[in-house]
Amino acid sequence: MTTASPLVLLIEDEPQMRRFLGATLRAHEYQVVETASAREGLAQAAGRNPEIILLDLGLPDRDGLDVTRELRRSTRTPIIVISARGQERDKVNALDLGADDYLTKPFGVPELLARVRVALRHSSFATGSNGETSFENGDLKVDLVRRQVFRAGEPAHLTPTEYKLLAALVRNAGRVVTQRQLLQEVWGSNYAEQSHYLRVYMGQLRHKLERDPTRPRLFLTEPGVGYRLVD
Amino acid sequence: MTRTTLKEYGWAIGIIGAATGIALALRPYLQTIDVAMLYLLAVVVIAYRHRRGPALMASVLSIAVFDYGFVPPFYTFNVHNTAFFLTFVVMLVVAMGMSELTGRIREQAEEAAEGEQLAAAQYTLSRELAAASSLDEEVAIAARHISEAGEGEALMLLSDPAGSGQPGNVGLDAVDSVTVRVAARMALEQRVSAGWGTTHGAEAEALVVPLMSSTRVMGIMIFYPHSVEDLLSTQRRRVIEALAAQAASSFERAQLTERHERARVEVESERLRTALLSSLSHDLRTPLGSIEGAASSLLQGSGFLSPEARRDMAETILEESRRMTRLIANLLDMVRVETGALMVRKEWQPLEEPLGVALLRLDERLTSHPVKTRLPDSLPLVPVDELLIEQVFINLLENAIRHTPPDTPISISAWPEDGEVLVEVADEGEGVPEGEEETIFRKFHRTSSADRTSPAGGSGLGLTICRGIITAHGGRIWLERNEKGAAFRFSIPLDGPEPRPLPAEVVED
Repeated sequence: MTTASPLVLLIEDEPQMRRFLGATLRAHEYQVVETASAREGLAQAAGRNPEIILLDLGLPDRDGLDVTRELRRSTRTPIIVISARGQERDKVNALDLGADDYLTKPFGVPELLARVRVALRHSSFATGSNGETSFENGDLKVDLVRRQVFRAGEPAHLTPTEYKLLAALVRNAGRVVTQRQLLQEVWGSNYAEQSHYLRVYMGQLRHKLERDPTRPRLFLTEPGVGYRLVD
Repeated sequence: MTRTTLKEYGWAIGIIGAATGIALALRPYLQTIDVAMLYLLAVVVIAYRHRRGPALMASVLSIAVFDYGFVPPFYTFNVHNTAFFLTFVVMLVVAMGMSELTGRIREQAEEAAEGEQLAAAQYTLSRELAAASSLDEEVAIAARHISEAGEGEALMLLSDPAGSGQPGNVGLDAVDSVTVRVAARMALEQRVSAGWGTTHGAEAEALVVPLMSSTRVMGIMIFYPHSVEDLLSTQRRRVIEALAAQAASSFERAQLTERHERARVEVESERLRTALLSSLSHDLRTPLGSIEGAASSLLQGSGFLSPEARRDMAETILEESRRMTRLIANLLDMVRVETGALMVRKEWQPLEEPLGVALLRLDERLTSHPVKTRLPDSLPLVPVDELLIEQVFINLLENAIRHTPPDTPISISAWPEDGEVLVEVADEGEGVPEGEEETIFRKFHRTSSADRTSPAGGSGLGLTICRGIITAHGGRIWLERNEKGAAFRFSIPLDGPEPRPLPAEVVED
């Protein structure tokens, strides 16, 4: 990490939530700018050049999706959206509009820090890069450059589609990827509605790469949203 | 006199003429009395075929002709023998009697035919009304039937279902014609038919019939005939009014049913609200008390508390707030199930997926219970809403954790059967008490073994929510008798549009 601690822009209208987020992030060596409305948040995003933005989708003055869209027009700064349970549609829309990840209230400190860390890591890749090229967690080792997949030291045999799906997840390791994004990347945009393709192949990947495919630890389903490869 | 009546008189004259012809031809063989009989026969034929008017004319005419041609002295109306007067009187009385009788029989036959038509119309109307599921549907059905039977266009205007009975409340503003509005007001106030074809406000181009319930005017029917120039026949008016009366009594029943249903729902939701309040005040206050206590100790006793005690209190706060979160989530789900706001977004998927999410979410709490899953590779994809089915698994698993001693296993299995996939979540606890197999699915039901004050205590909503979700998927959920513990089973029908088959793939190996 660089010598200067990263600057986090917080756009959250609930004072208690803002206090909790601000205190937690400061305690973990982040600098925090707190804002309570979309208007203020957008102004700070333009003026302070934050390294990461935490955006609550339920702001009183403007629709969260609108704010995401506007932020994406001017900046590539990672955005993590915060929403309540039961707003899966909004989350998916925000992610498809360019948000990087999401947190569902209520969430714990470890979850918050993990999301922020992953988002910062992905944003630090040089512009134009496609994301990570290698991955290692527990039994699983993937090298996208050599096109090699190992499970517990043994080469794993994947079909071309399984490999494409795995590669898409590895490039976004730690981050949620929506169903639509995965379907488009692996099967093409004509198949964006065929979510069962994705689910079947995800099951196959789990059967080949997870220790217990019914209790996955690496290839997590984010219900109603997409998938996440745990790093 | 209309053309048809003229024609009937013509026929009567013709028949008398024919009888005269026959009598003249057979004159040498006939007695005078036989001729009288012949004329009587002619009158009977006329009375049978035609109305009273022609028959009466025929009886007078036949006597005149008989007297003129066949009673001596011939070819005069003079009568020498006074006995013939008696013959005339008898002829007249018999002829008139016959025409009266046959006329009455014909009227009765006509009435019977009309009655039969009305009965048939009423029968089909009542059958369709009985099949209707709402008042709106009944109104549409009745309007269609009356339009068809009465040859016009029927429009039903009902006063508000709450039944304030204000005559103005039927929405007369929607009626364009002033004369029809006037007739409608008359019908509402005087409770009689008004407008076209009646004596009240006859200048209106529509007939307005009040729709009467047993106690009040519930609205009006406005009937626009196809042709306003038509006279309203008694028969047509009778059909229209009878059908309208029948529709009105059916509307009244439907309104009563709807009102009862509303009242029932109100009572039910009132009961739910009370139960909810008592459950809420208890289930929310308990964890809130712990949270408040732990947090204030942390604040005030910062200098005195040992690190372990501080940690203990922080853990209490975390656990109790998670419990509250679960409870509130359950309550919200319950409300969605109850109000029918449950949106099921089915997608074909392996059952393993929602199950995997549920198992991960309960990871910490499942450390005390080994889980065995048996899903055959051949298990087909199922059309389910992943978030909802995940919730079903979570509720069933939480139930199993709550009601079984630590270290007893929980097994989850699924198999296809008759166009469905059956799923079972079984534990090895003490099971469900005899006789509670159904009641456990009721709102706020807790088995006697579940201690509501324990931190692991359930909200009594989990199974109700499961049933709501499974029912919304078109499936069933029940408790399967199991000698080892409780086994909950649910079915997922494999219906809806088939998923697109996966593209073939060359396997490199």
